[in-house]
Amino acid sequence: MIRFEHVTKIYPGTSSPAVDDLSFTVPTGEICTIVGPSGCGKTTTMKMVNRLIEPSGGDIYVLDERGELRNVLEMDPILLRRSIGYVIQQIGLFPHRTILQNIGTVPQLMGWDEARIRRRAEELLEMMNMSLEYLDRYPHELSGGERQRIGVARGVATDPPVMLMDEPFGAIDPINRNILQNEFLRLQREIKKTILFVTHDIDEAIKMGDKICILNAGGILEQFDSPAHILSHPANEFVEDFVGADRALKRLNLVRVEEVMDSRPPLLQATQNAEEAIGFMSERGLRFAYVIDADRTLKGYVRLRDLKGKTGWVDEFVEPAATAILMGTSLKDALSGMLVVDYANVCVVDAHNRVRGLVNTEMIHRAVVESESEKSADEEGEE
Amino acid sequence: MTADVMQRPRRNGLWREMLDGWVTALTEPSLDVFRAQRDQADLLKTALGVGLLGLVIGLWAVAVGPASLVTGTEPVWVNLLRIIFFTEADFFIIGLILFFIAKGFGGEGGFNQHSYLLSLVAVPLGMIVVALLFVGDKLGLTLMAILNPLSPVGIAGILMILFGFYGLLLLLFALQAAHSMQASAVVYTLGTPLIGWGVLRVASMFAAHEENMITTEWDFIAGQWAKGTIQELLLGHLWLVAFSVAIAVVLGVVMGVFITWPSRRPRLSHLVILIPLVLCFLLWAASSGLLGEGMADSIKVMVKGWDRSLTRAGGFFGPLLDILAAIVSKPSAVGMIGMMFTIILYALFLAGEAASDLTLYIAGIILTIPSVALFGVMIKPLGIGPLNAAFALILYAQLPILRNTYTGIKAVAPEIVEAGRGMGMTELQLLLKVKLPMAVPVIVTGVRVSIVMLIGITAIAAYIGNDTLGEYIFTGISRAQEKRYIAGAILVAILALAVDYFMGWLQNRWTPEGLKGRREAT
Repeated sequence: MIRFEHVTKIYPGTSSPAVDDLSFTVPTGEICTIVGPSGCGKTTTMKMVNRLIEPSGGDIYVLDERGELRNVLEMDPILLRRSIGYVIQQIGLFPHRTILQNIGTVPQLMGWDEARIRRRAEELLEMMNMSLEYLDRYPHELSGGERQRIGVARGVATDPPVMLMDEPFGAIDPINRNILQNEFLRLQREIKKTILFVTHDIDEAIKMGDKICILNAGGILEQFDSPAHILSHPANEFVEDFVGADRALKRLNLVRVEEVMDSRPPLLQATQNAEEAIGFMSERGLRFAYVIDADRTLKGYVRLRDLKGKTGWVDEFVEPAATAILMGTSLKDALSGMLVVDYANVCVVDAHNRVRGLVNTEMIHRAVVESESEKSADEEGEE
Repeated sequence: MTADVMQRPRRNGLWREMLDGWVTALTEPSLDVFRAQRDQADLLKTALGVGLLGLVIGLWAVAVGPASLVTGTEPVWVNLLRIIFFTEADFFIIGLILFFIAKGFGGEGGFNQHSYLLSLVAVPLGMIVVALLFVGDKLGLTLMAILNPLSPVGIAGILMILFGFYGLLLLLFALQAAHSMQASAVVYTLGTPLIGWGVLRVASMFAAHEENMITTEWDFIAGQWAKGTIQELLLGHLWLVAFSVAIAVVLGVVMGVFITWPSRRPRLSHLVILIPLVLCFLLWAASSGLLGEGMADSIKVMVKGWDRSLTRAGGFFGPLLDILAAIVSKPSAVGMIGMMFTIILYALFLAGEAASDLTLYIAGIILTIPSVALFGVMIKPLGIGPLNAAFALILYAQLPILRNTYTGIKAVAPEIVEAGRGMGMTELQLLLKVKLPMAVPVIVTGVRVSIVMLIGITAIAAYIGNDTLGEYIFTGISRAQEKRYIAGAILVAILALAVDYFMGWLQNRWTPEGLKGRREAT
């Protein structure tokens, strides 16, 4: 847990605060993204937690590894920093030290012996899906994405309960950033750290955050809430503008296909004959239907007009489906996949290509509309 | 393959193409022009080009008639053929030598392209030079260029020298284009025959017992080496440099580190500084008679005893002992210098970054003081000998080190420093584990600059009674012995080059492995 209580920061020589009376709590095991326009004090806010910047007023508490809530201002800054994971952009790796030495920075400061550091580094590389050969290489020999993985590994080396991440994926190209974000979210599900994550990218904030803290210029807290709630209920005009006119679309990012899909879609068995299939489809008013085999593996689809007047097994008329969506995909990715192949309906499959449901544009549309109407209903209620 | 090339239709005619080649090679020389020419090279053009060179030189030779080649008894056409043959043969031999050297340095072109590009430079420049030679013969031209540059012969001579250099430059392009080599390999290719020629020439001097500057210098240096004088002076030179640099590195790095730190308030614990300060003060006070004449006298006697035992020692450590003896014999001066440096260091320690501008500025000023002037000024307080020399040398040597330490530490990316701090390094750990290791390449560069500079200044220190290689220069000048002062200059230059090379090697070794490939990576 990280708790801010009326935290204020006024830099010497300035009259207006950089962070103004900030209070919020990040529950244990959650990621809180801090986002806002430049100059909103988001980095300042984060750096006050490990006292790279000293707050001018208020208190900050973190839950330490023994489960005690401690006021960081009463701790020794050096020991405090060693107990908090710190991840910054990939350029923060030490170029003159090997990957092993980089990962082992904090363990070494805490006096671990070499064998233990090596074991931990190997463990972390495995966790990051990287080969152990990397241990003795230098940062400049790695790609940007690999370096960033090492940056994260270095941050979690001593398994600190609390982590600070300062735009960790900021300098990575969009494709790799997406991969790294997904990897990190998967990792977080295992390690369950309490994380303060600074970003300037609202999409990243929505994607990574269990909570989002939106700051305005002068370090004023505009809204602190879950991404879904911020998108459906922006607290004020600033938040509304900041999350963008496309916030309804952004909500698609938060909803996974399994939440909206029809989990009992009309499906044809490959072993049915054409006549049965025609009956099945005209009964439901379908122009085509997906075909599965005995263990629900997706075979493809058949069109009604191809079957008309024919005899034989459905299997003979199957055309392969151009796309299928994996369970766990966000609605945004699902929609974009459907637009690419120009399908209005698409199967949702699991990792073994077994059909688990069907999603169509109508369902996605409904998901967006529901969140909007929810919002207007709320607004009416407030008045 | 050659047949294919030869049958290629020529759009503008062969002569037009060759003329274009010469003109563009001369008027707009660039790698691209030579590369384009290389792609058009074929055997016919090469043969024509080289043949033309022979013809022009042959005609000229017949007209001017050098005795060695043109004999009056033969018919003109025999002389002409002979000279054409010699020219072609020379061109072929030189071309072949260059070709194989180029191959040795990783050249890739064929002999055909290689020869064509060489002829592209040699033919037009050869014609111009031959035309100029009608003004006067070769030796006369170059001499007149120096003696009477405004006379017609002198102007022709200057032009010829300029065209000669121009030709060398073009040859570099030609070789690079012909062989797609790195620029350095091209220089080596062209330099190797010159050095080879030089070595042969020098060898022939010694074989023929020729009397000239090179042989006399060699004899003189060999004689001095046999007597052991050079070794002695070299040892004195190097020890003075080593002693000064050793102290300067410590002072320079410490001061450089101090001026990158935030400024701090004086604390009670800083009283530790007082210990050396008081010790230095006591040393100065006692030896200069402030604590009673009796004490000063007894110190003097003690110092004399040490001095005697130190200076008697010789051998490898002899010069170092001389330096120590000189330091011991001036306790009051040493106390004063000690106090001075303690105070400066403490001031920088407190002021930190706030003092960086001023410190670097003062360092710049000190560096501009001529060493001879500093030696002279310091004769009064420090006397003549190693103490005076070492003081000046330390003062000069620490400045590049101080400057480079500062720049090196400042150049460490702030993100990296912040990462270290954010992970819980103390300021000292940050300095020792991050900032200094990353600044090492820059600091070592500073040390390298210092050492090379000191080798020169130490030569001058011979003037104030130090046994260094500069002794040859000063005694040589005062006795008007040319070979002596030239020997001194040669030895100092060789020493500087050798030490610089050695430092370059050390620098490469000491650069942290991870910093070496960084430039290519980004």
